[in-house]
Amino acid sequence: MTFLIISQILNGLGLGMLYALVGVGLTLILGVLNIPNFAHGVLYALGAYFAYTIAKITGSFYFAMFLSPLLVVLVGFILESQGVRRLYHAHHDYQLLFLFACALIIQEIIIIFWGPIGFSLLAPPSLSGAIDLGFLIYPKYRLVLICFAFFMIICLYLFLTKTNLGAILRAGIENRDMVKVLGINVNMVFLYTFGLGAYLAGLAGALSAPIMGLTPSMGLDILPICFVVVVVAGLGSIPGAIIAGILIGLSQGAATIWFPEATNVVIYVMMGLTIIFRPQGLFGVR
Amino acid sequence: MKVSFLYGLRLKMTTIFFSILFSISSSLSLSDTVNILGLFPFSGPYADSGKLTDQGARIALEEVNYTINGKKIKYVTRDSETKAGPAARRAQEAIDTEGVKFIIGPWSSGVALAVTEVAKKNKVMYYFSGGTEDISGKKCHKYAFMWAANAWTAMDADLKIFKKANPNAKKIYLFVVDYAFGWTLQKYVESLAPKYGLEVVGVDRHPLGHREYSTFITKAMSKNPDAVYMINFGLDAISAVRQLNNFGFTPKKPVIMSWSSGFEELIQLDPAARENLIVGSNYYYTIDNPDNKKFVEAYKKKFKGVPPGYAGAAGYGLMKMTLLGMQKSGSTEPQKVITALEEHKGKNFVGDFEIRGRNHQTVRPFFVLQTKKKNDMKNEYDMAEVVDVSSTEQPKNINMCEDIGSF
Repeated sequence: MTFLIISQILNGLGLGMLYALVGVGLTLILGVLNIPNFAHGVLYALGAYFAYTIAKITGSFYFAMFLSPLLVVLVGFILESQGVRRLYHAHHDYQLLFLFACALIIQEIIIIFWGPIGFSLLAPPSLSGAIDLGFLIYPKYRLVLICFAFFMIICLYLFLTKTNLGAILRAGIENRDMVKVLGINVNMVFLYTFGLGAYLAGLAGALSAPIMGLTPSMGLDILPICFVVVVVAGLGSIPGAIIAGILIGLSQGAATIWFPEATNVVIYVMMGLTIIFRPQGLFGVR
Repeated sequence: MKVSFLYGLRLKMTTIFFSILFSISSSLSLSDTVNILGLFPFSGPYADSGKLTDQGARIALEEVNYTINGKKIKYVTRDSETKAGPAARRAQEAIDTEGVKFIIGPWSSGVALAVTEVAKKNKVMYYFSGGTEDISGKKCHKYAFMWAANAWTAMDADLKIFKKANPNAKKIYLFVVDYAFGWTLQKYVESLAPKYGLEVVGVDRHPLGHREYSTFITKAMSKNPDAVYMINFGLDAISAVRQLNNFGFTPKKPVIMSWSSGFEELIQLDPAARENLIVGSNYYYTIDNPDNKKFVEAYKKKFKGVPPGYAGAAGYGLMKMTLLGMQKSGSTEPQKVITALEEHKGKNFVGDFEIRGRNHQTVRPFFVLQTKKKNDMKNEYDMAEVVDVSSTEQPKNINMCEDIGSF
């Protein structure tokens, strides 16, 4: 039983790191732009599809992992600069409708270009197969994923806390009006924030491809989990999103041991309990 | 005043004349055509299957040049959306406005159970292929037929062939999708496993649409089973197979995909990830008979050389059986067609094909495939070979259709 619990913690961590990456991206955009990005899921899907195509063309898995999130950033820039920016002064409903429409359009574009049937993206031979940890045989790729996602989260934390741009982004979450008063180009801040959110979504999508595979609906599958991460974390809380992502992954692992039918429901139970007992979220202030 | 009276009279006469003309032409056109509805998921989660099923049905119609018994066939389609409500509404609408007398489809068991009630109420013949055994079980009625093999037959075939290929295997672990069809198959596997010297050492039910199986896999591996027996379908099954391979379970040990679409599911997996799978399916394109070869060639022409999977074959098979009933009865009246199909015995593109009059269940081959290693594949579609075929009929005493009723 102890081994089973340890293995489920490992599984939960792997899942949670992915959720954290996507959740942080969503919470950044929500915090700074005050927009719930309904297109976040399809940016995740685009990350996976770009990685698949690049790996197929170049034969390099690592290059695909590097380039695909950057291409998603480009898509994010286009969405923000050509669409979202024009709607900042419009009613909130228009922003929601625009992003929701973008999500549907991008999903259809995925079907047109890559087809309705899914694909597999294999990890390179050096990361394929499983490793015997003594108490558990565990896939190498998942172990690397946990370490890499942890490394990326540390980098993100350092970027947000130790750089000027990071400070501006955090200030934007705390008080947007004050950032404007300080003479900072808010449009650029919004653009970079959307780009960073898109990068994290694209990266998570690319990293998840060897595990989950690729399907046109993968973006819509992940979107509800992203929003649960944001609600449990507290709106706009970046450390909260990291911890909430990991907690959700761990709770899914725990549910499998004792109540496997509830592995999907458990995340919504967590969200419901958070809303009832701590409406501002675990780390939220507003 | 007089002019206005005459004008009114002429208008009434003209209206009556055209009304009579219209009703005569309508009745003539109705008697000259037979209307068949293809109710498939053109949108929603199974949108890709809907298109393929529809194409399969059209190939069957092209073979008879859209005519049957001297009448033209008007084939209409509606989108089931894989939702019971919209599918039942659209079936009713097609019956009311298009004069539909025959329905084939849809793709999901839950939707089929709603549509079968519409067929019964409107006395319209309904042919379904899919998972639920209730169409020929507890929800059976005179107007509904089931094309796919019975669920019991399928599970018996999977276990029998798994044991034959792995005589030393003793323990299996089940992944079961958590809804009615999954529970039914689980019940059958648990009751049949001892017959083949197998013990079910664990069962995990997962929600429909689940994509992350690491937690289930580690739990299953802790019981050291000889195989993972999967009672899940589509993307759920594909995700689980892919991750079982990540964990190194396959290819060392086999995974059984108990009720699979076959081609459509296997093509989504990389050859390395689909090594050592035992796959139960109602159809595989390499079935060796002239009827199937003819169908596969026609299908490949339409789809740039891609062979058909279960979806395309089901559409073709459903339409072929509906047309066969019309040919046998020499009629396009549902009741006569149904009577002609009851107790039908014959051969078609899947092999020997019999229909039981007592429940309208087909007794037909269920195919068990073994996937090929990458080096053994002759081309990208050569993913598996049929290793065995079983058509063992479900025992009468466990069939839930107590009385199929009358017209």
